Amino acid sequence: MSQQEILEKLKNAIEETDSDLAAEAAGEAVTVGIDPLIAVNEGLSKGMTTISDLFDEGEVFIPQLLLAAEAFEIAMGMLFGDMSDEARRKASQGKILIHTVQGDIHDIGKNIVKTMLSAGGFEVIDLGRDVAVEEVVRQAIENKVDIIAGSALMTTTMPAQRDIVAVLKEEGIRDQFKCLFGGAPVSLEWVAKIGADAYAETASGAVEQAKALMAEIRRG
Amino acid sequence: MQCTVIFQPSGRRGLVSRGTLLQASRKLGADLEAPCGGAGTCGKCKVKIEEGFFNLSPLAEQEKRMLTPEEIVDHFRLACCAKTEGDVLVFVPEQSNGAKQVILETSKERAFNLNPAIKKYYVEMKKPTLEDYRDDFTRLKDALTCNYSHLKDDISIDYSVLLKLPNILRKGNWKAAITLWHDTEIIAVEPGRVEKMYGIAVDIGTTTIAAYLCDLATGNILKRDSLMNSQVRYGDDVISRISYCMMNDDGLARLHKMIIDDINTLVARLAQAVAISHENIYEMVLVFNTAMHHITLNIDPQYLGCVPFASAIRDPMNIKARDLGLKIARSGNIHCLPVEAGFVGADNVSVLIAVEPYKQEKMMLVIDIGTNGEIDLGNADCMLSTSCATGPALEGAQIKFGMRAAPGAIERVKINQCSLEPEIKVIGEEECPDTPPKPYVKGICGSGIIDAVAELFKAGVIQPDGRFSKKLNFPRIRQGSDGKPEYVLAWAARTAIGQDITITQKDVRAVQLAKAALYAGAKILMKKRGVNKVDSVVLAGAFGSYINKESALVIGMFPDCDLENITAVGNAAGEGAKLALLDTGKRLEAREVAAFMQFVETAAEPDFQTHFYDAMCFPHAKDSFPHIQQILDEIPA
Repeated sequence: MSQQEILEKLKNAIEETDSDLAAEAAGEAVTVGIDPLIAVNEGLSKGMTTISDLFDEGEVFIPQLLLAAEAFEIAMGMLFGDMSDEARRKASQGKILIHTVQGDIHDIGKNIVKTMLSAGGFEVIDLGRDVAVEEVVRQAIENKVDIIAGSALMTTTMPAQRDIVAVLKEEGIRDQFKCLFGGAPVSLEWVAKIGADAYAETASGAVEQAKALMAEIRRG
Repeated sequence: MQCTVIFQPSGRRGLVSRGTLLQASRKLGADLEAPCGGAGTCGKCKVKIEEGFFNLSPLAEQEKRMLTPEEIVDHFRLACCAKTEGDVLVFVPEQSNGAKQVILETSKERAFNLNPAIKKYYVEMKKPTLEDYRDDFTRLKDALTCNYSHLKDDISIDYSVLLKLPNILRKGNWKAAITLWHDTEIIAVEPGRVEKMYGIAVDIGTTTIAAYLCDLATGNILKRDSLMNSQVRYGDDVISRISYCMMNDDGLARLHKMIIDDINTLVARLAQAVAISHENIYEMVLVFNTAMHHITLNIDPQYLGCVPFASAIRDPMNIKARDLGLKIARSGNIHCLPVEAGFVGADNVSVLIAVEPYKQEKMMLVIDIGTNGEIDLGNADCMLSTSCATGPALEGAQIKFGMRAAPGAIERVKINQCSLEPEIKVIGEEECPDTPPKPYVKGICGSGIIDAVAELFKAGVIQPDGRFSKKLNFPRIRQGSDGKPEYVLAWAARTAIGQDITITQKDVRAVQLAKAALYAGAKILMKKRGVNKVDSVVLAGAFGSYINKESALVIGMFPDCDLENITAVGNAAGEGAKLALLDTGKRLEAREVAAFMQFVETAAEPDFQTHFYDAMCFPHAKDSFPHIQQILDEIPA
């Protein structure tokens, strides 16, 4: 089987949300010796883009999206299975801390964003839900993340996003992290008002925004 | 130039080109009264501009004639004269609202013991003399305990009643009607023989308020009435009301006053309708969700807005009417049923005392459908409850052509499995039997949406995962303007909004999310309770009695159950409030129930997400539905 055929198979496996097929194709890629980065970028990620576009169109719904992500992760595990941490980091798009803000326990949206970010090649640290502002900042420093992502699902819990930015400023480390916020009541205006860096309305939007923020970081 | 116009409380919104607000209201399906046809002569299309007052054309001559100076100061305009020049938020007062909402007021009457907290006693006393110089209050108490042996000596008197006591006793020539609350406190004294005594039960919903005037002497319901909760202009759900209180210094004061004014309006209307004095209304029972509970009682609701959703009080409350500014008898009592936990409020307790699932052995699932769904499960041994964020889709919001249950709303849908042609039933249509019928349809209400989705699924148009089938080629299935598939429920020729009414892919997704939240909530309670099936399902809520139970089961809104054992009971919260008003035994029961119920925060359960995803499918990804298997088997592959 040619490299092109295997890459095509990886892409199809994700599009068809078929974990078995994804594992099979990933195994073949390892046997043939395809560079894992190429396997991801030219195969798996392309499939994920298709699924994510279909999701945005309403054609694919949350359960299928999760199946696709599951297939993606299985293939990733096989492709990068015996790689060093160093090599893995090189393959990563960036490091993101994700959480549902203090006072809020609605985390299904956050979990979808997390899945999409992982499938988009990001290294994601998930702090869960109802995470105290101080804890978010502490973990961000400790894990040296690039981006702090937070979701608020109620107008009553949105202020926690403002508080994160405020604490970062207070501690004089605002420029070390990019802040990416979302959630049903959150808007571009709100994010601009509180001085965060980016807003995403959808899960795929979050991946796009995260990539743009990483590009900004790399430009320095 | 296009501008955004939003009509409250209907929530209709959209982009319109320059024109009058009346034209905008027609385009967006917000119904305004305009008997004069928009000539600016009847003044019926009066609206209040909440935001964007300066984005309208200057005041026209007709408006200066039709509006009072106070109204002009308050930003009232005539919709037929005011032209849009920018974004506006318009509030349509109830009298200008052409579409009268269909609020469920009637429901199954239940048997109860007539035992109100209010009782009236007639007494005759001897005049004071130099020999018998007892004080007036002692004289009254003695007369009461002497004539009515069950009354005890520890009777107290309300301060404001005491102020009038000496004069009233003498005016009535020492014959008086005494109103006692719980046989312990005198809350009214009237000269002579008066037997009239009334009470009002009020169900305060986030969107609507329903009130029932009851004769406490006979237990009869004399009159029902309802109105929209004026707070809807500050947002559709409780969270937006809570955040309004948090963000504005006078937010709570303003919302509190609004709700008190609304209740007073209802009290006045009810009293007027049956020609009684508000002075003879001695008690009121209030039921509400926790946020409405706090705002009505003027308690800061902000801590309800975030984890762990702690309320200020759980116990039932008795408050003097005058303390809340409620215009019944000044010393009258306001009884509030107890709160269960967090978002499960007194209204759910009220549903429970009406349905009484805790009095039977059968495993019963009670679902109160609203913007926030409440679910109770159990029997006499143990009862569990939870609340889940259903979102407003099942009530018609967040749906492209969704609307409240008002005239012009599609409420029933049947789709022919071969031709895929729909048969629709529209609220209010039978009342105007024009032939040919004039275009009348304005949108789809909750029960219509459930029906439409169930019927499309049964016809194979929508697949179990919610996707539109690509295999079908029928004129009614097409690509919408956004490129996504949709089904045309009513062609423009039949609608009053000049465009086709459709069910879109996005609408189907919204229904999937809402019904999955309910199903997952029910499933988690079943797991906690250790049962894998329920014996009966009770659907409560204003929405509940209009819903087609077969459609609800076909889309998998709740776990499988024999259709015969699924009942829609209508506004059970209002029913429970009435029972608590007429029977104090029910108040004790409510208190016990609130303590008996075990609250489960389903959203915090680790497997909630899995249950939620599985429940997104029609009817479900894994669970079987033996009772409707026959229907499911007939679905074309």
